[in-house]
Amino acid sequence: MTVLDTESTSAPSGDALVVLDHVDKHYGDLHVLQDINLEIKRGEVVVVIGPSGSGKSTLCRTINRLETIDSGTIKLDGKELPAEGKGLAKLRAEVGMVFQSFNLFAHKTILQNVTLGPMKVRKLKKAEAEAEAKKLLDRVGVGAQAAKYPAQLSGGQQQRVAIARALAMRPQVMLFDEPTSALDPEMVKEVLDVMVSLAKEGMTMIVVTHEMGFARMAADRVVFMADGQIVESNTPAEFFDNPQSERAKDFLGKILKH
Amino acid sequence: MDLISESGSVILTSFGLTVRLAFFSAIFSLLLGVVLAIFRVSPVPVLRWVGAGVVYTIRNTPLTLVMFFALFGLSYQLGVNFDKDLIWRNAFWLAVLALSVYTSTFVCEVLRSGINTVPLGQAEAARAIGLTFTQNLRLVVLPQALRSVINPLASVMIAMTKNTTVAVTIGVTTASMVNEASGQMKTLMEKNSDQILLIFIIFAVGFMILTLPIGFIANWASKRFAVAR
Amino acid sequence: MKLKKIAATVSVLALAGSLAACGGSDDTGSDAGGDKIKIGIKFDQPGLGFKEADGDYSGFDVDMAEYIAEGLGYDDDQIEWVEAVSANRETFLKDGTVDMILATYSITDERKAEVDFAGPYYVAGQDILVAADNTDITGPKDLDGKKLCSVTGSTPAENIKENYAKGVQLQEFDTYSKCVTAIEGGQLDAMTTDDIILAGYAQQDPGKFKIVGAPFSEENYGVGLPKGSKDRDKINDLIEKSFEDGSWEEAFNDNLGESGYQLPEPPTVDRY
Repeated sequence: MTVLDTESTSAPSGDALVVLDHVDKHYGDLHVLQDINLEIKRGEVVVVIGPSGSGKSTLCRTINRLETIDSGTIKLDGKELPAEGKGLAKLRAEVGMVFQSFNLFAHKTILQNVTLGPMKVRKLKKAEAEAEAKKLLDRVGVGAQAAKYPAQLSGGQQQRVAIARALAMRPQVMLFDEPTSALDPEMVKEVLDVMVSLAKEGMTMIVVTHEMGFARMAADRVVFMADGQIVESNTPAEFFDNPQSERAKDFLGKILKH
Repeated sequence: MDLISESGSVILTSFGLTVRLAFFSAIFSLLLGVVLAIFRVSPVPVLRWVGAGVVYTIRNTPLTLVMFFALFGLSYQLGVNFDKDLIWRNAFWLAVLALSVYTSTFVCEVLRSGINTVPLGQAEAARAIGLTFTQNLRLVVLPQALRSVINPLASVMIAMTKNTTVAVTIGVTTASMVNEASGQMKTLMEKNSDQILLIFIIFAVGFMILTLPIGFIANWASKRFAVAR
Repeated sequence: MKLKKIAATVSVLALAGSLAACGGSDDTGSDAGGDKIKIGIKFDQPGLGFKEADGDYSGFDVDMAEYIAEGLGYDDDQIEWVEAVSANRETFLKDGTVDMILATYSITDERKAEVDFAGPYYVAGQDILVAADNTDITGPKDLDGKKLCSVTGSTPAENIKENYAKGVQLQEFDTYSKCVTAIEGGQLDAMTTDDIILAGYAQQDPGKFKIVGAPFSEENYGVGLPKGSKDRDKINDLIEKSFEDGSWEEAFNDNLGESGYQLPEPPTVDRY
């Protein structure tokens, strides 16, 4: 059972989809992103972890320019991110984003949430958009809730709808900004399951998370950030069993006690 | 009460004029208010300045002056007229123009505060799926903003309905030269100076009949259409 | 029970209304010398009853009122001027807000039922004011197709509406001065009210306007007094005296001499 349609890509095909080159950002005095260089290949699943304030959320949000950068370049499929405007809107349609606080459109039904993008941006007709949406909702396991409003759903259900909403745009890459941090513990698994199956189908994913289990299971690479810098970047196995830097050792020591 | 049998139809005609003034001013002030609000939150600096400029000047000018300017400035000095020949039609639409522009500034500010109550994440999610600025406003932010300010908007509409009485300063009448409500009240008081209080009560009640329902409907609507979060 | 509550509320409103209207003492118009006399005048009719920017009062009604007050034994500084808007005149006399009124106050049978009148001290008539170079309009019949101006709810406006309105467009404002502005600017053709009031406005810009001079109604201006006032005879005597000793003519010329409006003959006082 695939979450995506038949046009899914398989394992990392080698070409760079997202490239961050010498990216810098300040929030006033705070140097929140320091000389970030990162390349994510098509089909790769990259998990970004680190302590709070490390800049990982900011990094995620610069990729679809919800945050701007002071210097450096960010390229998406070879194209540099333009300034606010129609061009940027078009590029954003290629990047799906799942937020920590779900951000489902509160005044629209679940179905409408998922059909809005396809109808208004991909210019699909209503019937077609709804058919696609229903399939997506079924695949993330919330098909029965299509007529309800977000406030009537549990957190886990809402986040799965958010994933479906992002997928409805047929993005090339999906960004996840701490997708399970706001969920009750018993709902975390249902969302992670969807994300794992997405990864298996070959979606390019950048996931900012604290869920180490997911990283071990689904990530091709783990990127560790601290104080605005990328400190370490390795395969999950290498990173968790053999952290190289003191910072990473310190971090892992604190969180992996249990 | 032979006052009522004598003047009843004039009073009704007068309130009919009030209703017409309020109806058109409501429509135009809401439309213009939405436009002004969009200007004020636009990413284009020129639009922001224009929006802020209009709101700051007109919201802080008394309606009597705005109404005065509509006739004596726009019409008499600058020759901007809705009807060169018919005084009553010209005055009516000038009054609607003045009242609409004036009220739109209040609608704009109420709407803007509504926009600010819509969680930032809604607009971010809209941007993230590739909606343009106008699509974002039209499909995600404004619908939620409007639904959250139904009661304050109703207050503005109630105030506007009562503000139609300022039209007396430029002599708005019906085609048959019946004054709008406050002018008609004055006329009746001059003719029947022994029944001033009764006349006042009749007109006060008349306005309440127009404005109370707006409040009740708003109350009901704000609950019915509230966005559940 | 509900009916009682409604009746109680209405009577509270009525009480509030009368309290709002009353402000003076509660004697019914005794103006014995010694304390103040409250005289109701218009504050916004130039040439007749006008409150200047510096707080002084001027006008034909004001001068006549001062003459009468003096005759009753009051000094000028014992006079308290009160604004008597048209709709309030009977109410003010009844509740004692004023002791007498000279405010272009026409004597009518309807009003005699509520208040008393001394005079008339002037007979005015509804007339028409136009720009000085206007030759089209010589009387109310010439108003067909023209744009006429007056004040909302005033008797002249009502008169036109009822008797002459066939082809006339009436623009009503809340003040006469707006009418004057519009006629000066050419946006309106004529203005109508009592001729002496028109004269007051013409006086402000001598040479710019003319009064057509064909009055088509009769307004007897009287001194309004509370019903049953004992000063009526005395005031009537004073009015007649002003005709004889030239004060009446002086009051007119001081205030309206440059309006281009001719002083008529003094009226006959009506001791009813």
